[in-house]
Amino acid sequence: MLVTEELTRKVADLARLELTDQEVTTFSAQMQKTLGYIEQLTAVNTDGIEPQYQPFEMSTPLREDVVVPRSLDSKGKPKVLEHAPEVLYDGFKVPPIL
Amino acid sequence: MSHFQNFSSIHDAFDAKKISATELTKEYLAKIEASKHNAFLTVLKDRALKQAASADAIIAAKGKVPRAEMPLLGIPLGIKDVLTMDGVRTTCASKLLDNYIPPYTATAVERLEKAGAISIGKLNMDEFAMGGSNENSAYGPVDHPTHPGYVPGGSSGGSAAAVGADLCAAALGTDTGGSIRQPAHYSGIVGMKPTYGTVSRYGLVAFASSLDQIGPMTKSVADSATLLEVMGGYDPLDSTSSERTLEKFSQIAAKEPDWKNLRIGVPKEYWVDGIADDVANRVRESLKFFEKKGAKLVDVSLPHTQYSVSVYYIVAVSEASSNLSRFDGVRFGVRPASLKDAKDLADFYKKVRAQFGPEVKRRIILGTFALSSGYYDAYFRKACQVRRLITHDFNEAFKHCDFIAAPVSPTTAFKQKDQTMDPLKMYLNDILTIPANLSGLPGISVPCGKGDHDLPIGLQLLGPAFSDGGLLSLAHAFEKGRA
Repeated sequence: MLVTEELTRKVADLARLELTDQEVTTFSAQMQKTLGYIEQLTAVNTDGIEPQYQPFEMSTPLREDVVVPRSLDSKGKPKVLEHAPEVLYDGFKVPPIL
Repeated sequence: MSHFQNFSSIHDAFDAKKISATELTKEYLAKIEASKHNAFLTVLKDRALKQAASADAIIAAKGKVPRAEMPLLGIPLGIKDVLTMDGVRTTCASKLLDNYIPPYTATAVERLEKAGAISIGKLNMDEFAMGGSNENSAYGPVDHPTHPGYVPGGSSGGSAAAVGADLCAAALGTDTGGSIRQPAHYSGIVGMKPTYGTVSRYGLVAFASSLDQIGPMTKSVADSATLLEVMGGYDPLDSTSSERTLEKFSQIAAKEPDWKNLRIGVPKEYWVDGIADDVANRVRESLKFFEKKGAKLVDVSLPHTQYSVSVYYIVAVSEASSNLSRFDGVRFGVRPASLKDAKDLADFYKKVRAQFGPEVKRRIILGTFALSSGYYDAYFRKACQVRRLITHDFNEAFKHCDFIAAPVSPTTAFKQKDQTMDPLKMYLNDILTIPANLSGLPGISVPCGKGDHDLPIGLQLLGPAFSDGGLLSLAHAFEKGRA
């Protein structure tokens, strides 16, 4: 697996990460080395082995769908907005999308 | 200044009116202020003193500490800054969360405080718990508790340094690939990663959800048992929280193991190349201790150990790349000044996320890569298949032994800046702690002596899933027998 700077830029873009040119160069070399090490996994025969995504088998517990009132601050505003970066009315403000 | 070895000696002092919870808290606050370890990111002075005053009021009203109902009454604890507390800044040692004040409290912290604990402050760590030396904090590295210039370990480095230097009575850490056990080993304290699902992860800022577990970092095994008993147990707010009835860890830990029927497994693959002589010698002496007590040492094999670092650095970073996508600056977090030039929302996200430190960026990139179209099968799926083989190894090994004894990490603490330039070398330090996370097993690091330069060394004990009580009992007997 060859980690080109182009690949690093593409993956960083997918992850919405802004990288400096220096970071692209450094990370590409480091990822090359790490992936080179990880390639040892190809030597393991995993034919017919089910992937394990959790530490052990667990069931998904179900619970009643109960409505819980949202917590409010001392002024009666939703608590989650108390320390929001920018608030507009009762919501979070972001730049225009269109 | 007072110095207490465990919670029960603190409670004895409260009962004998030798010191009050308020006085003890003030002593710790003074020590924190004078300390140069950089272990604390936020000191909760006023809040802690209020908690101490109410602890003193309860002790005065009852005549003594009601130990059964409030086993942590008046005990000052440090909380790793990856656990939320309502109204208290929680940074995860990241610039991106420099101003984040969560509106809710982690279940573990809530239960400890309900049992009377005082939260004295939030502890430094590697950013988002990614690292093994506490050099990845946006707020600067943490110094080793007894050896200035050395790392305390990571990612719970602030917790290890604070407990090791007696800046609090005990602390909470989190362990995703060894982040409790390794700093405990480096810093000469007790650190336990419970079985996955024992402690609720509600309010723990997620790094790798299938691996993360909260655990105690303490001066004694008994204290770890007490903390685990108080904060563990089912929580409907964490869907991976175990519904099993929690064992009475503090009682079980105090019991002598049934030595004659005890088999301690020694995995040959854990004696990898690169285990330093001082570490190897102390662990071998520890094995002899068990043998002398009457336990049987059994050679076991965990043949896929050599692949665990590879599996971990695919699984953990993949989960992290997904978990950390929530840090987009919309609902919380720091919006940097550069945002005024943001062209659109995608550009907005990028400028916010540029605030991540280099190790976090590195892991998000690797994780995004491993999950991306065209690479998913070769990397993520393959790693999860080998993860099953690693779990199978443990299942087989535990047919022949009750617990496993091994080193925690190949070396003792290293000097700051020694390994930061080579991420892969740093990752390889985790080879002996990672397997327990991949398979959800409980593990504990207990001090077992000193090595070169008088640096601390820990013994790692591992057990099958949900054998936490037995593990604590074994660790407690070892601690007592060594003293």
